Amino acid sequence: MSVFANPDRRLFTPQFIGQVLLRYAVIAALAGVFAFFSFATTTFLTSANLTSILVNNFTLLAIVAVAMTFAVSAGGIDLSVGTSVDFASFAFVSLVLAGYPVGLAILAALVSGALVGLFNALLISGVGITPFLATLGTLFIGRSSQQLLTNGGNPVYLPQTGISPLFLFIGHGHILGIPVPLIIVGLLIVITSIVLLRTRFGRAILAIGVQQSVARYSGLRVPGHIGLVYVISGFIAAIAGIILTSTVSVYIPNSGGAFMLNAIGATFIGTTLSREGRPNIPGTMLGVLLLSIVANGLLLTGLSFYWQQVGTGLLIFIVLAASFLNRRGRGD
Amino acid sequence: MSADIDTLSDFSSGNDGARRFARWLAGFALHGGSILAFAALLIFFSITAPFFFTLGNIGNVLGQSAILGVLAIGLTIVIIGGGANVVKGGIDLSLAANLGLSAAVYATLVSTGHGDGVAIAGALLTGGLIGLVNAIAIVIFGIVPLLATLAVMNVVAGLELVLTQNTVVSAASDFLSVLSNYGPFDIPVLAYVLIIFTIIAAGIVQYTPLGLRLYAVGAFPEAARAAGLPVKRIVASSYIASGLCGGLSGILSVSYLSGSTTGAGEMLLPVVVTALLSVVFSRRLVPTIGGTLLSTLLVGFLTNGFQLLNISSTLVSGIQGILILLVVAATSLQRGKGVA
Repeated sequence: MSVFANPDRRLFTPQFIGQVLLRYAVIAALAGVFAFFSFATTTFLTSANLTSILVNNFTLLAIVAVAMTFAVSAGGIDLSVGTSVDFASFAFVSLVLAGYPVGLAILAALVSGALVGLFNALLISGVGITPFLATLGTLFIGRSSQQLLTNGGNPVYLPQTGISPLFLFIGHGHILGIPVPLIIVGLLIVITSIVLLRTRFGRAILAIGVQQSVARYSGLRVPGHIGLVYVISGFIAAIAGIILTSTVSVYIPNSGGAFMLNAIGATFIGTTLSREGRPNIPGTMLGVLLLSIVANGLLLTGLSFYWQQVGTGLLIFIVLAASFLNRRGRGD
Repeated sequence: MSADIDTLSDFSSGNDGARRFARWLAGFALHGGSILAFAALLIFFSITAPFFFTLGNIGNVLGQSAILGVLAIGLTIVIIGGGANVVKGGIDLSLAANLGLSAAVYATLVSTGHGDGVAIAGALLTGGLIGLVNAIAIVIFGIVPLLATLAVMNVVAGLELVLTQNTVVSAASDFLSVLSNYGPFDIPVLAYVLIIFTIIAAGIVQYTPLGLRLYAVGAFPEAARAAGLPVKRIVASSYIASGLCGGLSGILSVSYLSGSTTGAGEMLLPVVVTALLSVVFSRRLVPTIGGTLLSTLLVGFLTNGFQLLNISSTLVSGIQGILILLVVAATSLQRGKGVA
C-alpha cells in the first residue's frame, strides 16, 4: 500500500498516481475544475470574476457550512441551519425597520439564531431525540412560524432610502479594499478552526463525534457539550442571515433552506480530506470553494441553468465516489 | 456495538423511579396512545366538520394520500433494510426528485404520442434506474446513503428541469383518466391503488422470508452476514424497490395532476416524516408497511380536517413538525436512551 512497498522502486506508477488522486480527490477536482473553466471560458480567469466567486458564491455558503461542520463534528447534523439564517434575517430586518440602532438589530439577530439552536439543544440533549429528527422538526416548525409571522410568506422589504450606512456597510462595504463579508468569513474560519483544534472544548467535541460512549466514560459531560454545539451552529448561521439581509435589503421567508443541502454536501466533501474521514474546517472550505467555482463556471459557460444543476450534482457524486472508494481501499 | 454499551449504561444509571415511570408512560402513550390519538382526531374532526366522516371524504383523503403513501412505503423499505440510524443507516433523499422525473418522463412520452404501455414502462424504468444508481453508489462505492442519495437527488432534479424546462407537461390518455376517476362506492381509483399496493408491499415485507431477511440486515448487518445472508444484494434491492416506488408514484402524480409537476421536491420532507412516523404504529417500534399506511392517513386526515375547518394550511407544516418531535421524544424516552 505504501510507497516503500513498491517493488519497482519507481515512484510514479499509475497505481500510485491513482491513489494520490483518490486521497486528494477534492483538491484534484478543484484544480481540474479551475483549469477546465479557465480554458473553456474567456471570462472565468479574471480578477473581477474570481472576486465575484468569493463574494457572491462563497461567503454565505461558507458561513452556513462552518455551522454545519460543528454539528457534524459532534457526530450529529443540523437540518435547521436555514431556519437560523431566516430567523436572524427576520429579527434584523424587523428591528432596523422599526428604527432601532443597527448594532442592537445585529445583536437581536445573533440571539434569534442562537435561540433556534437552543431549541435544538433542548430537544437533543434534554429530551434525547436524535439530531436528524430534532432539527427536522425544528425546520418544519420554523417554516410554519415564518409564514404566520409574515401573513403567509410575504417578503419584508427595507426602504431604499434612510437606512443607516452601517447596515449597508456589512453587505457592501470594503476595509482596505477587501469586501466586509469576506473579512467576516475569514475571521470566522480562523476562530472556529482554533476553537475546534486548539481548545479543550473543541477537542471534547471531536472526541464525542468519534465515539460518544467512550467520551462519556472518560468523564466528558456529553449532553452539555452537544447542546452547546447546536447553539453555536445556530449562532454562526445567524451571521449568514445578517450578511444576506444587508446585501439584498430584504427578508424573504424560508429562503435560508436553500443553503442546507449544499452545506451538508460541502461538509462531507471536506471529510474526504482528513485521513480518518472526519469533518474539518479547511476541508469544508475546500468543499464550499468547489461548489462555488462550479456554480460560477457553469454559469459562464452559458450552459442552461437546468444543466448546471445536473453538472453540480454529478461532480459531487464523483468526488464522493472517489473518496469513499479510496477510504474503502484503505480498509476503514 | 454501541447498543450493548447503551444497555450497560442503563443498568448503571437505573437510579430513580421517575425515569422508569417516564419510560412506562412513554411506552403506554406510544403503544395504545398513537391509535387512541388517531381515533380521537377522527372523532374530533367528525364532530367539528360535518362532511369529514363521510365515505366520500374518506375516499378522497385516501386518493389524495396515494402519492405520498407509495413514496413513504418505498422509503420505509429502505429504512427497514438500512437500519434506523438516519445518518449512517438507510435513507433515500432522492425519492421526491424521482417522483418528479418519472412523472416528467411519463407525461412527455404520452404527450409525444406514445401509448400508455410505453409511458408506464418509461416511468418505472426511470424510477428503477435511479434506484439502481443509488444502490451502486451505496453498495459498491460505499458512499453513506444520506450523501449518495443527496447527490443523486440533485442530478435527478436537474434532469427533470432539463426535460421539462421547468414547465408543466400536460398529459391525457385513457389510462390516466381511468386512474383519476372514481371507482366502486364513489371512491377514487387512486384510493384503491394505494390500498392494493400497500397490501402487496406488506405481504412481501412482512410475510415472506425475503422480508424477514430485510429486517435482519437492517437490525444487525454483521450478524446477518455471519448467518450467510447476501447483505449487499439485499440492501441494493431495497434501494431499487424504493426507486420503483418513486416511478409508480410518478405515474399516480401525472394522473392526479393531469401532467407533470414542477414542485416535486417539496414532497421530500413529508415523505421522510411519514416513513419515520410509521414506527409508532407498531408494537415493537420498528418501521412496518402497515404502520406507514396509517401514518400516511394520519397526515392526510390532518391536512384534510384542517381544510374542512378552514384552518390555514401554513399551520400544517408546523403541526407535522410538532408531531415528529412528540413521537420521537416518546420513542426515545421509551427506549430509555440518552443523547443518541
